[in-house]
Amino acid sequence: MKIIKINAIWCSGCLAMKKTWKEIEKEYPEIEFITYDYDMDEEKIKNFNVGDILPVTILQKNDHEIRLIGEKTKKEIIEAIENLNA
Amino acid sequence: MTYLDYSATTPTSDEVLDTFVKASKHIGNPNSLHKLGVEAKNLIAASTKQISDILGVKPEEIIYTSGASEANNLALKGIELYKNRGNHIITTELEHSSIYGPLNYMTEHGFEVDFVPLKDGLVDTDKLNEMITDKTILVSISAVNSETGIRQPIEEIGKMLKDYPKVIFHSDITQAVGKINVDLTNVDMASFSAHKFFGIKGIGALIKKENIRLEPLIHGGKSTTIYRSGTPTTALIASMAKALRLANEKIDDDISKVQKLNDKLKANLKGYENVYINSNEYSIPHILNISILGVKPETMLHALEEDDIYISTQSACSSGNISKAVMALTHDEKRASSSIRISISAKTSEEDIQNFLKSFDKNYQRLVVKK
Repeated sequence: MKIIKINAIWCSGCLAMKKTWKEIEKEYPEIEFITYDYDMDEEKIKNFNVGDILPVTILQKNDHEIRLIGEKTKKEIIEAIENLNA
Repeated sequence: MTYLDYSATTPTSDEVLDTFVKASKHIGNPNSLHKLGVEAKNLIAASTKQISDILGVKPEEIIYTSGASEANNLALKGIELYKNRGNHIITTELEHSSIYGPLNYMTEHGFEVDFVPLKDGLVDTDKLNEMITDKTILVSISAVNSETGIRQPIEEIGKMLKDYPKVIFHSDITQAVGKINVDLTNVDMASFSAHKFFGIKGIGALIKKENIRLEPLIHGGKSTTIYRSGTPTTALIASMAKALRLANEKIDDDISKVQKLNDKLKANLKGYENVYINSNEYSIPHILNISILGVKPETMLHALEEDDIYISTQSACSSGNISKAVMALTHDEKRASSSIRISISAKTSEEDIQNFLKSFDKNYQRLVVKK
């Protein structure tokens, strides 16, 4: 599984989720985590159709994808990981 | 022109510009030993004294910066010197991007950030008290939120934080200075910018109480302080002192005037079915944030612009169409994605308000009712 996080330096929701991601990255070492910056990685994120709300979290496994928009709790992210793993 | 975007920036007043021009004739570098340098140095000292008297701080506690964004960066990144005491910072969801930017950066360098919950937009001081740990070294809470105008009780928060001698209290007072009276007695550091009170863009300051040490962002020779190097900007400093004096001398009368204009705006806007007033009883009268359900904020902004009326959608320094501040306040995505900010000042006239209300009504009928 791959988790793509699209953040921005000015984004308070991205800041609020930092602690949660630290914990999740520790708990799921098998997942590949990629972080893109909304302003600096414009080219890399253009195909993700990022809307107006940040952060955007995209969970990908095989051909399946789950997209989480905005600030999410640890519980919501783990649920998404488990749904994709199921 | 009807300008109702004073919280984004204010037009520089003629008197301030006049001071800038006159002070610019002092050609000396304040650090030069000859009489031209001494003249410039004396002018800076007099200006600094004036600013410090108005803000109730010591002259040596003023660090001049290019504006509030730099002051916020200096206050936050500068506390790295205290990292041996802890790495925990507490802030709110109602801050400017120049707070979130450095904090996001700092989390990549070993700091941890938590957000204190809000109650009707106000910091829950009991929760704040509970959140402080032995690792907490900084609490950063703005005095007034730029989008909704909500005023935090920074005096009360500062007082409470005095129980924690290890915790430094920083407040971004950019939207408060020159608009409302601010008591900095219990605030350790405070940032502001002159262009929000009819001063010139490119000058601001960080107030840093003398017992606090900071790592400078710009290292070099001693300027007006050791905390920010660079040739002191004599004319900008003098102009900021003038702007602050002018804003402060009739601040109470100006608040009453602005309050009346705000009341009139609110009374009229409340009559529209799809309009929600987001600013609440804790908001300063200079800022009125509303949501117009069913209309994109930028559509209304440009419609008003056609009538030479200028308002804002969200804070000029964010991106996207959703207002994080309105979301934090209302927990309503529809309201957060349809909000506009009308910001007024003592220079706003009754006629400006009438112009706005007339154009707003016309565009509301066209964009909402007849859609």
